[in-house]
Amino acid sequence: MSSLPLPTAIFTPSGETALVAAVCDVAERSFFAYAEPCDAGRFAELCEGTERWYSAGIEFDEGDWKGTLRCLVPDDAALAMFDAFSGRGFDDPAPAPELVSDLMCELANMVCGAWLTRAASHQTFSLRPMPVAMSAACAPVKGETWITVAVNDRPFAVAVRAEAGDGHGGQDVGSGGGCAPGRDESGFRSEM
Amino acid sequence: MIDQGTPAPEKRPMNLLIVDDSLTMRNMIKRVLGMTGLRVGEVYEAGNGREALDVLETHEVEVLLTDINMPVMTGTELLRVVAANPRWRSLRRVIISTDGSTARREEVAGLHVRCYLEKPITPEIVRDVLTAVADSDLHP
Repeated sequence: MSSLPLPTAIFTPSGETALVAAVCDVAERSFFAYAEPCDAGRFAELCEGTERWYSAGIEFDEGDWKGTLRCLVPDDAALAMFDAFSGRGFDDPAPAPELVSDLMCELANMVCGAWLTRAASHQTFSLRPMPVAMSAACAPVKGETWITVAVNDRPFAVAVRAEAGDGHGGQDVGSGGGCAPGRDESGFRSEM
Repeated sequence: MIDQGTPAPEKRPMNLLIVDDSLTMRNMIKRVLGMTGLRVGEVYEAGNGREALDVLETHEVEVLLTDINMPVMTGTELLRVVAANPRWRSLRRVIISTDGSTARREEVAGLHVRCYLEKPITPEIVRDVLTAVADSDLHP
């Protein structure tokens, strides 16, 4: 069994449930998209042929816990989300890349906010955007756990790293390092 | 006594200030404004609370729509400054934020906020809230 790198206290009723619910809520309400949980096999199928990914991250601090949350989105899906959000039509010019990046940043902001609002409503939290990056592959980095979702049948991943914050009162948090990929007891998939 | 012979003076279109560090979010709210059918005058924008104060100091604004988590000056800090200045007593204030925590709602409870919208928002919600705010009286 892997160590538990994410605090169960803010991942109720389970880490996966709270985060997937946040993604579904954001996808449906802001992007008019259908989101559903996606296992590793289907996620790998959906990823086939995708070579450009947006990585949009947010640093969060809610007192007891702080960390980062990254949304990993294929570039074609990001553009489709931009169209849905902005109302861009087929005949309209393509958006400037910085506008799509801005929206991906706002997407991560909304997902993180929706998740923390569900998971830790008794606490205020602060969010700070990280620079949006492009990558050739979708994978968590060391210390992150992630969930995979299908949004309008396109792959979508959320990778989270959390650690005890200044206001943390007791429970220690595992590092996540040294664990084999698989489901931990929070419902998250941990990766090296 | 109601003077039925004198038509009510037409309201001046309301000026709005949208405060959000995301340009695409500001653009979305502006697009929704155009769909509401409300008589909207000027729509000003600011990327943080500090910029918002600069706009408020120099322009007449009836409705303030603000995010909470922003760089330089947060929405909560902005609302505290606004609440402390009688000049902006009649400014109608709406929060549009990802932070829907009960703790945050309690934090802004005394700052004369008319409505607290939690992102993700739909265009319909923005429309309904702006319509309600436009129809409300000027004093909180």
